[in-house]
Amino acid sequence: MEHTIQLKGKERTDLTILSLIKSGLKDARHFQILYLGLFIIYGISFLRWDLAPWRIGLIITTVLVTQMLFVAWKGGSLSSWKSALITGLGLSILMRANEPMTLVLGAFLAIAIKFVITHQGKHIFNPANFGIVAVMLITGDAWVSPGQWGSSVVLVYFIGAAALMVLLKVGRIDTSLMFIATVFFLEYLRTIVYLGWDWDVLFHKFSSGSFLLFSFFMITDPVTTPKNFWARMIWACAIGVLSFILSQWFFIHTAPIYALVIISPLTVLFNHFMKGKTFQWV
Amino acid sequence: MGLNINKLKIEIMNRIIWLFSLLIMFSVGQKAIAFCGFYVAKAGATLFNNRSEVILVRDGERTVITMSNDFKGNVKDFAMVVPVPVVLQENQIRIANRNLFAKLDEYSGPRLVEYYDSNPCMPVFEYDMEEVSKSLFSNIPMAMNADMGSMELGVTIEAQYQIGEYDILILSAKESEGLKTWLIGNGYNIPATANEVLDPYIKSNMKFFVVKVNLEKSLEAGFDYLSPIQIEFNHDRFMLPIRLGMANANGAQDMVVYAFTRSGRIETTNYRTVKIPTDRNIPLFVEPRFGPFYKALFDKAYESEGKNAVFLEYAWNVSPSWGVKCDPCVGNPPIFNDFTEAGVNWIDQWGGSTVFFTRLHVRYTRDKFPQDLFFQVTPNQENFQGRYILSNPAEGDLSCDAGQNYLKDLEMKRKREIDELVSLTGWEDRYGSNYVLQYSNQIKNREKRNELLPVVNIDLPRGGGGLGIWIWLLFAGLITSAFYIAKRFRPVLA
Repeated sequence: MEHTIQLKGKERTDLTILSLIKSGLKDARHFQILYLGLFIIYGISFLRWDLAPWRIGLIITTVLVTQMLFVAWKGGSLSSWKSALITGLGLSILMRANEPMTLVLGAFLAIAIKFVITHQGKHIFNPANFGIVAVMLITGDAWVSPGQWGSSVVLVYFIGAAALMVLLKVGRIDTSLMFIATVFFLEYLRTIVYLGWDWDVLFHKFSSGSFLLFSFFMITDPVTTPKNFWARMIWACAIGVLSFILSQWFFIHTAPIYALVIISPLTVLFNHFMKGKTFQWV
Repeated sequence: MGLNINKLKIEIMNRIIWLFSLLIMFSVGQKAIAFCGFYVAKAGATLFNNRSEVILVRDGERTVITMSNDFKGNVKDFAMVVPVPVVLQENQIRIANRNLFAKLDEYSGPRLVEYYDSNPCMPVFEYDMEEVSKSLFSNIPMAMNADMGSMELGVTIEAQYQIGEYDILILSAKESEGLKTWLIGNGYNIPATANEVLDPYIKSNMKFFVVKVNLEKSLEAGFDYLSPIQIEFNHDRFMLPIRLGMANANGAQDMVVYAFTRSGRIETTNYRTVKIPTDRNIPLFVEPRFGPFYKALFDKAYESEGKNAVFLEYAWNVSPSWGVKCDPCVGNPPIFNDFTEAGVNWIDQWGGSTVFFTRLHVRYTRDKFPQDLFFQVTPNQENFQGRYILSNPAEGDLSCDAGQNYLKDLEMKRKREIDELVSLTGWEDRYGSNYVLQYSNQIKNREKRNELLPVVNIDLPRGGGGLGIWIWLLFAGLITSAFYIAKRFRPVLA
């Protein structure tokens, strides 16, 4: 008799854990947090990034505190800490600086911009993207290391598979694919057809971890991409063309993140003229 | 005479195999064919066989590239071709002092440092520190030559200069076939595979900086070496065209880059830049083998990073106004004259501005480095050096209790040193047990250990270091408070 009760009790806990997992699966942000966290661990332990853990702590503390203070001031969902944490992890992967205060400033600006520049209640700029560009331009103390991921097939698979899980959930895989296709097409024309380099030069560019991470995790933010499918296609294409131009003729190695900041405000126009469903995280 | 030429041919063919280069070198094909670039003498004289050295200065769009010229052999056989983004003017090409390379190498090379443990049984503590430094590399610059005619084949001679012992042409070409034909027509033997690499450079609007030795000038000067060539230009493209040098190269080639910037470290943007393992305690017997040790360490690091990473060997703020230039110094740090020689033009003798120095070491092959090396200047001013540490044991009577503890710890420490050595170099552990147990006969009682006695701290402080647990508590506290404030005060939105 006792035995049965114990079993029942165990079943009950199993059910609770299962239901927790089930409810966790609903929110794509949980996946993002998990994957970005794994990327950081992979970067530090296998790619030997020069990134002290306390710096990650500093960035994440700043984004969470800033987010919560803005929520206290302007209102909003308490669960928005998840979005802020994603921003913080994204910044930890990208943003490097000499001074800790530069990191704090970047993290603060990333979150603040969400509450300061909005249109119809939605923010316009991708927070991590804005934070890093702002802090690079303002302080001159921050930088991005586009070479930090290296290029490897394992990485392509790793990032690609992780991205697929998240993007199928939020329905923004189209944006990634359009962006990659645009850049690939232009790079193919330039690198292979016109300049006459071998294919491995092109593959080397496209297996860059920084490029993949940007394609799958940065431009796919469902809040700051246009709502309408065709608008998103044009939008992703525009970012692709602009980053291609910036990298090929202006030799800006971090071209995509600048292209995204420049094109982001167009989302407002697209949303005005091309209607679509407003995205909700859960 | 004929014999000599044959000898020369064999000699030169050997070099083809060893060919390195960020540049390609073509030679006049009258007799001998030499495709020699930045080539360093084989093992014995230097550590890395196919090693070239480049000094880069980058300030905004201004770029100064100084290329060491380690060609050995008859100056007649020397010629080189470097793709450059613009047509260089005469005042943008200079001859640099070859001692500069040796000086920078010596200053920034990996270093072996030595510490002495103090005797815990002696009343007075002495902390003696001495440094043992080994210059790993040496330069053996030599001489060369080539001859050139001129004719039109879609190839334009944009400029023609005579600088130092060199005759220099700046060529532009419309397509690779034309350039190839022109070069062959003018007696240059170029490798068949160079064609595929020339095309992309021509289409990227690059010009070709072609150098040979002016025999008369060379004889006048009476040198038995060739001077480094320095070129300067303004362009937003910050790269080194390594692909050209791979056209006929066999195996891996090493390149050491010394860079000066105004703001901070340089790093590659299309390959990973990682730090070489540093601050490791290694056994004393490595001292006479430091050269091979570092070479093995580099080989191992190169393998374990997937053969496609660029290694940071040194980074330091070398501004005249900055205090410590190295810790410890192996060679003299560069001074004002060296900066000027390298092409740094933004400081005056009293030094108000920053000069940051970076040393990168890359070993590349065609399959792992399909793209040229692209660089960026970062604001990163963190100092770094490749440093390996020897600890000499305490001397004298160690029979007191503290001394006995010290000896037991010494065994542990030496065991760690052996493990470190094996993991860094992949060497077999041959001397290990002798080294670990060297002082075991002085240990009287293995079982007894007096834990109350202090032990001499033989671990050296390592750079960086984390912050204490309190900083994490502070982070957690801040986050919790922010959540509380948000929950308590947030306005309810309509």
